[in-house]
Amino acid sequence: MTIDTAFIFEAFKEISKVLPLTLFMTVTPVLLGIIIGVIVAFVRIQQTKFFAPLLNFYVSFFRGTPIIMHIMLVYFGVPIIVDVLAKAFELNIQSSSIPILFFVLLALTLSAGAYASEIIRSGILSVPKGQLEAAYAVGLTFSQAMRRYILPQAFSKSIPNFTNVFIGFLHATSLAFFLSVKELTGVANIVASINLKFLEAFIAVGLIYWGVSAMVEWLAHRLEKRVTAYNKGGI
Amino acid sequence: MANDFDFVLIAKVLPILLQYLPVTLEILVFSILFGMLLGIGIAIPKLLHINILRQIITIYISFIRGTPILVQLFLVFYGIPILLKIVHIDVTRMDAMYFVIITYTLSNAAAFAEIFRASILTVDRGQIEAAYSVGLNGTQAFVRIIFPQALRVAFPNIANTMISSLKDTSLAFSIGVMDMVGRGETLIASTTRALEIYLALSIVYYVIVMLLEKVLKSNERYLNRYMPKEAVSS
Repeated sequence: MTIDTAFIFEAFKEISKVLPLTLFMTVTPVLLGIIIGVIVAFVRIQQTKFFAPLLNFYVSFFRGTPIIMHIMLVYFGVPIIVDVLAKAFELNIQSSSIPILFFVLLALTLSAGAYASEIIRSGILSVPKGQLEAAYAVGLTFSQAMRRYILPQAFSKSIPNFTNVFIGFLHATSLAFFLSVKELTGVANIVASINLKFLEAFIAVGLIYWGVSAMVEWLAHRLEKRVTAYNKGGI
Repeated sequence: MANDFDFVLIAKVLPILLQYLPVTLEILVFSILFGMLLGIGIAIPKLLHINILRQIITIYISFIRGTPILVQLFLVFYGIPILLKIVHIDVTRMDAMYFVIITYTLSNAAAFAEIFRASILTVDRGQIEAAYSVGLNGTQAFVRIIFPQALRVAFPNIANTMISSLKDTSLAFSIGVMDMVGRGETLIASTTRALEIYLALSIVYYVIVMLLEKVLKSNERYLNRYMPKEAVSS
C-alpha cells in the first residue's frame, strides 16, 4: 500500500468546494465575537456590579473548557431552552427545525467572544493611562477619547492576537465535523470514506487549511505594518 | 425532554468520568515532556542557522500551526501505519493512545520550538559575553546563565501551551481512545442524556484547567522571584 498522489489532487478539488462555507463559519463568529468582546471587556474594566462577575465567569468558563464542549453544550442545550420558551410563550418555533449550522455558529461565537474580550481588554490596558488624560486635557469626552485615541491604539496592538484567534477559529470549524456539518473536515471524511483513501483525503484537507492560514497570516502582517506606520522611527 | 433535565445524573456520572482522568493526564504529561525535548531539539538548528535543516523545520512549524489538531490527529492515525508498512512494520493493532501521544507531541514540539527560540533571543548578548569573561565555556554559559533567564521569559507561553494542550486532549476520543470524553460518549449511548454528560465533562475540564492554571501561576511567580517587584505585578 502506497500513497495515491493523484487522488490527493482529486480530493483537493472536491474538498476545496466547501472552503467558502468554512470561511463563513470562521468570519461570522469572529466578527460577532469581537462585538461581544468589546462589550464584555468594557463591563469588566469598569467593574460594573453584578454584570462584571457574571462576565468573568463567562470568560473563564469558555477559555477553560475545550471548544468541542461548547459545540456539544449548545447543540444539546439550546433546543431545550428554545422548546421551553416556545411552550411558555406559545410560539410556533420548533427546535428540530433549527439547522445544525446555527448551533455551530452560536457556539463558536460565544467562544470567540470570550477569547476576543481578553485580547481587547489587554489591548485597552496596554495603552498608557496618560493617553486618556491627554485626550481629556484637550477637551474630549470619554467616548470620543475611546474612539479616537484608545481603541485605535488598542486595536493596532491587538492585531497579532486577533490573527491567532482568527486562525484558531478557522481550525475550530473542523470540530463541526462531529455534528456531520459538511465543512472542510466533514467533506474530507466523506471523500475518504467513499474511496477508502483516508490519508490522501486528510493530506488534501491539511494543505487547504495550511494555505488559508498562511494567507491570513500574510494579510495580517501587511495590515499590521500599515496600522503601525505612525510608529515608524520611534522605539 | 425539557422538564426532565437531570441534575442528579451529572453528580452520578462525575465519579465515573473522573476514573478516566488519568488517561487524559497521561496523554498530557507524555506529549508535553516529549514535545519539550523535540521542541528544544528543533529550535537548535534554527538558532544556529543551519541552512537546509532550518528550512525544513520552518516548514514543519508552519504546517503544524496552519492545520487543525483534528486533521493532524487523522494524518498521524492513517499516515504512520502506511509509512511503517514501507519498512515492513505492522502497526495496525497498535493502541490508538500511541497515535494520540505522537500527534500531540509533534504539535507541542512546534509550539515549544518557537517559544524557546524567541525566549533565548530575548536574553541579552552581553550575558553570554560576561559568562565567557569569567571563564565559563559555551555549555556552562548556556546551562547556568542563558537558559534560566530564557525559561523565565518563556514560562507564560509554556503555560499557555500546556493549558491548550490539556483542552486539545478532548479530541483523542475521535480516533477511539477511551479517555474521559470517550467514556462520556459510551455513557451518552447508554443513558441517552447528552447534555448532562457534556456538562459533567465540561465541569471536569474547567476544574482541572483552573487547577493547572493556579499551579503554573505560582511557578511563574517563583521563576520571577529575582525580578524587581514593579516589573512583575500581576
